[in-house]
Amino acid sequence: MEIWRLPISASQRGKLISAGYTTLSSLSSISSSDLARESKVSESEALDILKFASHSHSGGWEMSSGNCSIFEGAQNAWDMLHEEESLVHITTSSADLDNILGGGIHCKEVTEIGGVPGIGKTQLGIQIAVNVQIPHGFGGLGGKAIYIDTEGSFMVERALQIAEACIEDMSEYNRFIRKDFQACEIRMQPKDILGNIFYFRICSYTEQIALINYLDKFISEHKDVKVVVVDSVTFHFRQDFDDMALRTRVLSGMALKLMKLAKKFSLAVVLLNQVTTKHTEGSFQLALALGDSWSHTCTNRIVLYWNGNERYAYIDKSPSLRSASAAYSVTRRGIRNSSSSCKRIKMM
Amino acid sequence: MISQNLLQSTTQKCTTGCPILDRLLRGGIPCDSITEIVAESGSGKTQICLQLSLHAQLPVSHGGLSASALYLHTEFPFPFRRLHQLSLSFRSSNARHLPCNDNPCDRVYVQSVHSADELLEIMSKTESFIESSKTQLPVRLIVIDSIAALFRSEFDNTPVELKRRSSLFFKISSMLKALARRFNLAVLLTNQVVDMVGPNEGINGLRIGNLGCLYTSGRRVCPALGLAWANCVNSRLFLSRHEEVNREENGKLIGESGGFVCKQTRRKLYVVFAPHLPESSCEFVITREGLFGVEITAC
Repeated sequence: MEIWRLPISASQRGKLISAGYTTLSSLSSISSSDLARESKVSESEALDILKFASHSHSGGWEMSSGNCSIFEGAQNAWDMLHEEESLVHITTSSADLDNILGGGIHCKEVTEIGGVPGIGKTQLGIQIAVNVQIPHGFGGLGGKAIYIDTEGSFMVERALQIAEACIEDMSEYNRFIRKDFQACEIRMQPKDILGNIFYFRICSYTEQIALINYLDKFISEHKDVKVVVVDSVTFHFRQDFDDMALRTRVLSGMALKLMKLAKKFSLAVVLLNQVTTKHTEGSFQLALALGDSWSHTCTNRIVLYWNGNERYAYIDKSPSLRSASAAYSVTRRGIRNSSSSCKRIKMM
Repeated sequence: MISQNLLQSTTQKCTTGCPILDRLLRGGIPCDSITEIVAESGSGKTQICLQLSLHAQLPVSHGGLSASALYLHTEFPFPFRRLHQLSLSFRSSNARHLPCNDNPCDRVYVQSVHSADELLEIMSKTESFIESSKTQLPVRLIVIDSIAALFRSEFDNTPVELKRRSSLFFKISSMLKALARRFNLAVLLTNQVVDMVGPNEGINGLRIGNLGCLYTSGRRVCPALGLAWANCVNSRLFLSRHEEVNREENGKLIGESGGFVCKQTRRKLYVVFAPHLPESSCEFVITREGLFGVEITAC
C-alpha cells in the first residue's frame, strides 16, 4: 500500500515524502519522535500516522522488495543498498579478474564483454555458465545457466573440460580448507554441469528477438537460472538492415528486456560483443560493435585486449567499479590468473 | 522454444587423413562450424581442401562424415588432375571402407564462383541441392576456395564501400552457419594474406589470435579481408612456408666452388584461434599422396 493511500492530509503526506518515507516498510521501525523530527510534523501527528500505517497493513510487513511504494516497483535507496550487499557474485575463476570486478559478475546487472576474435570471450562465457553452478557451500550461487549461442562457437567438449576442472578445483578446496572431506564430498559430475546449462542456438536476428521475448516465461518456469549468456549479441545485427532505424529500435528493445529480466529474477546477464573499426576524423579506431546508442544500454562494460603476449581485461564502464585492468589467461582448465610474474592490477 | 540437450550433442569432426594433424585439431575439422585456413599462395590450402573433400567420404567410424563434398572454387582452373592423383592414394589406403566401383572424385561436386553476389545466389540454391542429395551420399562438407578472391577487387577503399563489404561478410557467414547448423555440415574456407606494411601500431598492429605476427616466406603478413571477416569465422588456421637453405653435406660453404645449395621448404600449421583448441602448431609436408603432419622428435 502506498503512502498516498493513508488517510492523512495532503500536507502531511507531502512532508513524509520529502523526508524520504514513501513505503510503509520504511515506517515500520521508526519511533514517533524520530518521525516527527524528520518529517517536521508534530509528535501527535506522527503518532497518528504510525497508527494509520500499522492499521492499513494487514497481516505482517511485506518484504522491502518494492511492492509497497508510491510508484509500483519503486524502492528507496536504503533498501537497495541492503539488497546489493547481500548479492553474491559469479566468479570468473581468475582472482585478479574477480578483483577488478568487485567480486565477480554482478547479478541484477547487464555486463557487456567485448574483444577481438580469439581473445577469450566464448571461453569466459562458458566459464561463467559453469561457475554459476558452484554450490552455496563453496561461495557460489548454485544456479543454472542459459547460454544463447548465435555464432556456433560453443563446443561441448570444451565446456566439458572446463566443468571437469571446476569440479577438481572444488575437491582441492575441500581437501585443503575444509579437511572434512567425507562430509562435503562433491556429488556433482561434469555431465551434471552440462545438464544445467540451457543451450539455445540462434540462426537469425528474428530468432534472437523471439528467444529473448520468451525468456521471461522460461525463467519463470526455471527459477534457478542465475545467468543468461548471449554469445554474441552482435553477430546477426551486423548484416545489412534495410531500415537502420528499425535496427536501433530492435536493439534497444532487446537491451531493455534483458535489463528487466536481470532485475526481475535477480540474475546476471552477460552479453558478448565483437569489436569493429570506427572511422573518426580520417583515422580508424577500435570500438565495440553495435554503435553509440547501444553502448549506453549496458550497466557494465569490460573490454578484453592483448597487451604484448598477455590477455588483459579492462573495466571500460561501470557505475560502481573503478577503471582498472587485470591480466588473465585461457588455460586447458578455463579462465585463470595470468601466470606471468610481472602481472599486476593497474588502477587508472 | 526448446533448449538443446548438451549431454546428447557431440561435435562431429571430419578427419584430415593424417593422424598427426587430427591430433592437433582434436579429431579434424568440426561440423556446425566455419573453419578458415589462411596462407599465401603455394602453402597447401587447396591441398588440404582436396584432401578433406575425399576423406569426408569415409564412414563416421573412421573419422569421416559418410558424405560428399561441395567444392566452390573462385580461382581457376580447378585442379582436377591433383584431385585425381590424391584419390588414387586415398582409394588404395581406404579400399575396405569404400564401395568398390566408386570413383571418389564423383563425390566431390565442383562449382565455380566469380563474385560475392554469385556466391549468395549459390547459397540459396545450396539448400535444395543438399536436400536432394540425401538420397545418395549426402553433402556434409562445403569448401570455398578461396573466399578472399571474391572480395579483393570489387570494393573501393572508401568507408562506405568497406561498410557495405563487411555487411556482405556477415550475411554470407550467417547463411553458411545456418546451413551448417541445419544439415550438420562442416564448412571449410580458405583465405589469402596481405603483406603488412608500415609500423606495427594502431589498427595495423592489431593482434588477432594466438600469434602476435604471422610470418611466411620471411615476410610479415596478415589475413585478407580484415577484422570484420575475422569475426565471421569460428576457427582460423595459418599455414606458413619458409625456404630454408641448408649447408651441403660435404661441409663446404654455400657459394664456395663445389658446394651445393640445398633448399628445403619448411611448412608449419598454426592454430590462430579456435574455441576448442589451445595454441599449438605442427610441421607438415606435401607429397604425392597428400598433406601430412610430421612430428619433430628430439634425437
